[in-house]
Amino acid sequence: MGTPKASLPWHGSTLLRQVAGVAARALEATGGGPVVVVRAPGQELPELPDTAEVHDDPVEGRGPLQGIAVGLAAVADRAEVAFVCSTDLPFLQVAFIGRVLAAFDDAGVPPDVVLPMARGHRQPLAAGYRTSLAPRVAKLVEADRLKPAFLFEECEVRRLDDAALHADARLAAADPLLDSVVNVNEPDDYAAALARPAPEVTVQCFGVLASQGRRGSRTVRAATIGTAAEAIGLPFDRHVLAALNGDQTSRDPHLPLMTGDQVSFLSADAGG
Amino acid sequence: MTAERGVTAAPAPGTAVPAGVAGGYFGRALVVDVTDATTTTVTLSERVLRDYVGGAGLGVWLMRHLAPPGVDPLGPQAPLAFVFSPLVGTPLTTSAKFAVVAKSPLTGFLTDALASSHFAIAGKLTGHDAIVVTGRASQPSVLLIEGGDVRLVSAAGEWGRSAAEAEASVRERFGRPWRVAAIGVAGERQVRFATVSHDGRHAGRGGLGAVLGAKNIKAIAVRPTTKVAPADPAGVLAAARDLRARSFGAATAKYRELGTLANLLAFNAISTLPTRNFQTATFEGAEQLAAEDLAQARGVTKNSCASCTIGCEHIYRRKGGKQLRVEYENVFALGPMCGVSDPDEVLEASARCDELGLDTISAGGTIAWAMECAERGLIDAPWLRFGDGSAVLRALDEIVEGTQLGALLARGSKHAAEQVGQGSGDFAPHVKGMEMPGYEPRTLHAMALGLAVNARGADHNRSGAYEADLAGDLDRLDGGAAHARAAVETEDRAAVMDSLILCKFLRGVFDEPFAEWAQLLSLVTGWDVDAAELRETAVRIVLAKRAYNAQEGWVPSDDWLPARLLDDTLTLGSGRVGALSRERLRVMIDAYYEARGLDAEGRPATETARRLTG
Repeated sequence: MGTPKASLPWHGSTLLRQVAGVAARALEATGGGPVVVVRAPGQELPELPDTAEVHDDPVEGRGPLQGIAVGLAAVADRAEVAFVCSTDLPFLQVAFIGRVLAAFDDAGVPPDVVLPMARGHRQPLAAGYRTSLAPRVAKLVEADRLKPAFLFEECEVRRLDDAALHADARLAAADPLLDSVVNVNEPDDYAAALARPAPEVTVQCFGVLASQGRRGSRTVRAATIGTAAEAIGLPFDRHVLAALNGDQTSRDPHLPLMTGDQVSFLSADAGG
Repeated sequence: MTAERGVTAAPAPGTAVPAGVAGGYFGRALVVDVTDATTTTVTLSERVLRDYVGGAGLGVWLMRHLAPPGVDPLGPQAPLAFVFSPLVGTPLTTSAKFAVVAKSPLTGFLTDALASSHFAIAGKLTGHDAIVVTGRASQPSVLLIEGGDVRLVSAAGEWGRSAAEAEASVRERFGRPWRVAAIGVAGERQVRFATVSHDGRHAGRGGLGAVLGAKNIKAIAVRPTTKVAPADPAGVLAAARDLRARSFGAATAKYRELGTLANLLAFNAISTLPTRNFQTATFEGAEQLAAEDLAQARGVTKNSCASCTIGCEHIYRRKGGKQLRVEYENVFALGPMCGVSDPDEVLEASARCDELGLDTISAGGTIAWAMECAERGLIDAPWLRFGDGSAVLRALDEIVEGTQLGALLARGSKHAAEQVGQGSGDFAPHVKGMEMPGYEPRTLHAMALGLAVNARGADHNRSGAYEADLAGDLDRLDGGAAHARAAVETEDRAAVMDSLILCKFLRGVFDEPFAEWAQLLSLVTGWDVDAAELRETAVRIVLAKRAYNAQEGWVPSDDWLPARLLDDTLTLGSGRVGALSRERLRVMIDAYYEARGLDAEGRPATETARRLTG
């Protein structure tokens, strides 16, 4: 690709920032939890949300299982399950993460892994893992058994095919083609991804921000809060807050948006 | 006047600034016993002034030293203090403010309401840092203060009239140089949430109008007789120019362009607009009350308080051609809180509160509680229904007329619920007896804590923790220790701003608030105040208020929220649930107590807390 995937530009942000932001949104919707980024030792990363934690692989080049081991260990004392994904999923949806994590509570034998089988393929890097697996994953890495398949042989795996994923109405609506698992491995993939239209979102300004013809709600295409503001000619400066779907407020212009999101722009001095 | 607990009292001297007093101060408070129009002067030492600054801070010091413990707030011994500040009279924008401080007849604890007007400047330039009223006049009276000269004159011509009419009458009788603070009929009849008004502004919360009414004082008129100079006039002038320029910037645009009513539609969008007595947090009629449209359709003009460059007052045209100053809290309390969406009805109710001299927030909250009681069949008032604006007007009138229902409501929702019983206390919208402002605690968890622990009761001006909830740094639905730290910070900032005094609408222009406020105070007084000292001053003032309340019977369970807010949940547009629980609130309160150096019972535990409590 010529550039590390993590740093690839994405609608004024980066791929890593996009994926980390989507993960943060999903966790917020499911009760909170840390977002952990695992990198190669000393790897330079683009800007991340303030709340993201960065952990290093102990050695370079040991494949995805090592990263999974480090990530699961990092959150094992704070969470029972974790969603694990690669950095190159530009269309990852909040609802996809929610569906995968919710599947841990589906009826049947409690799983160790929730493994989407989306678009005809296993998706170990868009899957859910019980954090207690961390030592077992580390042992596999020590034993040079570096493929996720080795882990799946040893534990209880709940597989979710397209129909099972779409049993979640929110995911079915938000991601009918399960583009959440589309990754970008080649320059052409990346160019094609960038060429797709940004999510369609509804934007509304309040108070003094609604002046200059900005009164009322409008539909725009925007991948982040910053680009949504730009689309309506609103400077997203320190005097402006954005509330997403009537919920949290944010000053982060890189906060990713999903199709159907409602963005409310408020004066930062809300209150009287 | 007997000297009490170390206060030096002496006959009132002339009005010149005594030697050795810091810039911006006179170093004394005038105490007027209206029983016989006698006066004494309380000397305010530099230590006291530096420790408590002025306004709300100096007010609590005066209350702790002048109010007999356990005093009946409507009794003759209860002091009512008009407290000025070192910044009053300087060219610093928004500084023409004063605090009215007393033991609240609504809560039984300290209340301190701030207002802006020329009364602040004229009152201070009588030569006093505070004017304290005690006693009870033998007949309805106007208290006139001109320097050290104090007179009581009959208020026969003003009694029974609105505060605005009384103010105009007094100025007509005695001349335009007099500035007047007056009460409406609600104050005369000692409605527990009556206001003190002047220049169309109101010291609104806690029933200060009832305290003045209980003293048979319809109005206080002050006339300036002296001057006071800052320590560094050139420095103050330069700072004033700078502050003035900053006050025109984006940080105050909201207040200038639409006023606080701009909150309403925004709060509705994020589920923080209390509706129908906190049964929901969004209001289907919000659009009809939106400033964004009403300003276009009904906006007549904009005004500024005395010495203010922001100009936040937005005057709307009412039905019939009359005009009204509109604020978010008026419209919230008499609109969504009561389920009323017709702007004519809401503006009419707000105007009626002004005319009668009622605090709109307590009036709306108490009526909303009564509406819910009526709909549940707990009180016999079938006409009192959510959404009926004419019912709100009738209820306001009955509160002041003292009908059976009105007399019940005139004591506020806490006392009324104690009378009605049948579980109605669970949804009485108050903390410590003070009705809640327009911020939904279940979706603003830092604010929930701020409301619960604040000394004045449910109050958005002494806490302001909603700022932390809405700043984007905290999850406003997941309150915890971080929210407690944020609530402490906003409470500290408010304590300083309310004591300097500077308008909170200016708060956004300060990048390093404590340091910048310390600089302003230093320029005026000549002291070498720094940010650290001012931070300690803030804590001292907050703890002093708690200490006063403890003396008056505060118990830990007073730092709490109504059961409805802890038992019922709200669902936001995102699908997330806004919920407080007893456990969560307890965790936040414990964290707040710890940050304040208090023990689990909310009493000073650390050496610092004991020292600052005094």
